[in-house]
Amino acid sequence: MASTDKPEVENVAAAPEKGAVPPAAPPPELKSETNTPTSYLAVAEVVLRVLLFATTVTAVVVMVTSKQTEWIPDRLPPFRIRNSSRFTDSPAFVYFVAALSVAGLYSIISTLLSILALLKPGNWKHLVSHFVVIDVLLLGIVASATGVAGGVAYIGLKGNSHSRWLKICNIYDTFCAHVASATAVALVASIVLVLLILLSVFTLSRRSLK
Amino acid sequence: MEMEQMNKVVGDEEKERDVKVGMKRKLRYTELFIRLLTLILSLAAAIILGLDKQTKVVPITLVSTLPPINVPVTAKYHYLSAFTYFVVANAIACSYGGVSLILTLANKGRKNGCLAKAIIMLDLIMVAVLASANGAAAAVGYIGHEGNKHVRWNKVCNVFGRFCNQVLAAVGVSLLGSLLLIFLVMLAVLKVQNKH
Repeated sequence: MASTDKPEVENVAAAPEKGAVPPAAPPPELKSETNTPTSYLAVAEVVLRVLLFATTVTAVVVMVTSKQTEWIPDRLPPFRIRNSSRFTDSPAFVYFVAALSVAGLYSIISTLLSILALLKPGNWKHLVSHFVVIDVLLLGIVASATGVAGGVAYIGLKGNSHSRWLKICNIYDTFCAHVASATAVALVASIVLVLLILLSVFTLSRRSLK
Repeated sequence: MEMEQMNKVVGDEEKERDVKVGMKRKLRYTELFIRLLTLILSLAAAIILGLDKQTKVVPITLVSTLPPINVPVTAKYHYLSAFTYFVVANAIACSYGGVSLILTLANKGRKNGCLAKAIIMLDLIMVAVLASANGAAAAVGYIGHEGNKHVRWNKVCNVFGRFCNQVLAAVGVSLLGSLLLIFLVMLAVLKVQNKH
């Protein structure tokens, strides 16, 4: 294992502070790293970043595959027109897809870098701090995308009698189901981001205590 | 000679500590100022949208041979659930701003206590809530401004011009508030990191 002297010293300092051995089993490549809280925090960060990647990609895929074609009754009853509904019809959903794609791309990069930092521990405090700043920005973007999709989807579900916007979810039912699932998954992604930032803050304050 | 050097070193250390303390105090005042600003901005956004009401007389033609009937139409913020969410979220952010001001004063600039972490966590949740409220209000306002011909939602801003402008102003003010909140979280994180 490529371990320098410095992490060992840190480990020794950190071990009596926590005392108990954490319950979860470490990945096999971490066996030689000794069971310290610091390495568990790093593993938890990697897991959360992978989770972030999974949720953002799921949300994007579900939203992009939401196209539905239906027969819509025209003004006179016997005539019908074939109309399809897809996410590009609304700028709100386009923003949603763009924002979550950015989040997904960033999560790939950050996952790879944090795995690298896990395997070769060194002075990666600055790396983590830069991640935190981008994470906070991304939390704002992902949360606003969730709000955008939720706000438009709610009008689609219920309609609005005051401005005479008719509901469309009785016609495009699977489209609405896709949009609702994508919004829910994006909500999970923003919760994961909040947890990630808290974890980073916890790690940083732990490091700086020494 | 050695004593002089020692004194010099001690003096330098003291000076450095003074500078550090001064920086710390400045940082703390900046934080308090930004919190106050966030409070004011979210309060302003909630009030701007909460007082948004416009009544207009719209001529409606029922039968083409008769003259059109004038019907008063009103637009209020709580007709759209996204705007209700926006007002509620901003009200919550405003009251949280007050609470966090008190908590920050009670924390006395300590960086590693439970209170500091709790403030960061609540700040993060507020960032998420405010951002989603901004997104929802902006998306619905955009539909009102442009309409959506795919689903036959007609635009309403050609009728309720002032109403729409007020919504735009509220979203802008609230956006500024949430950006300041994001900046505050970054500041807190960097403060935690730079503790030595």
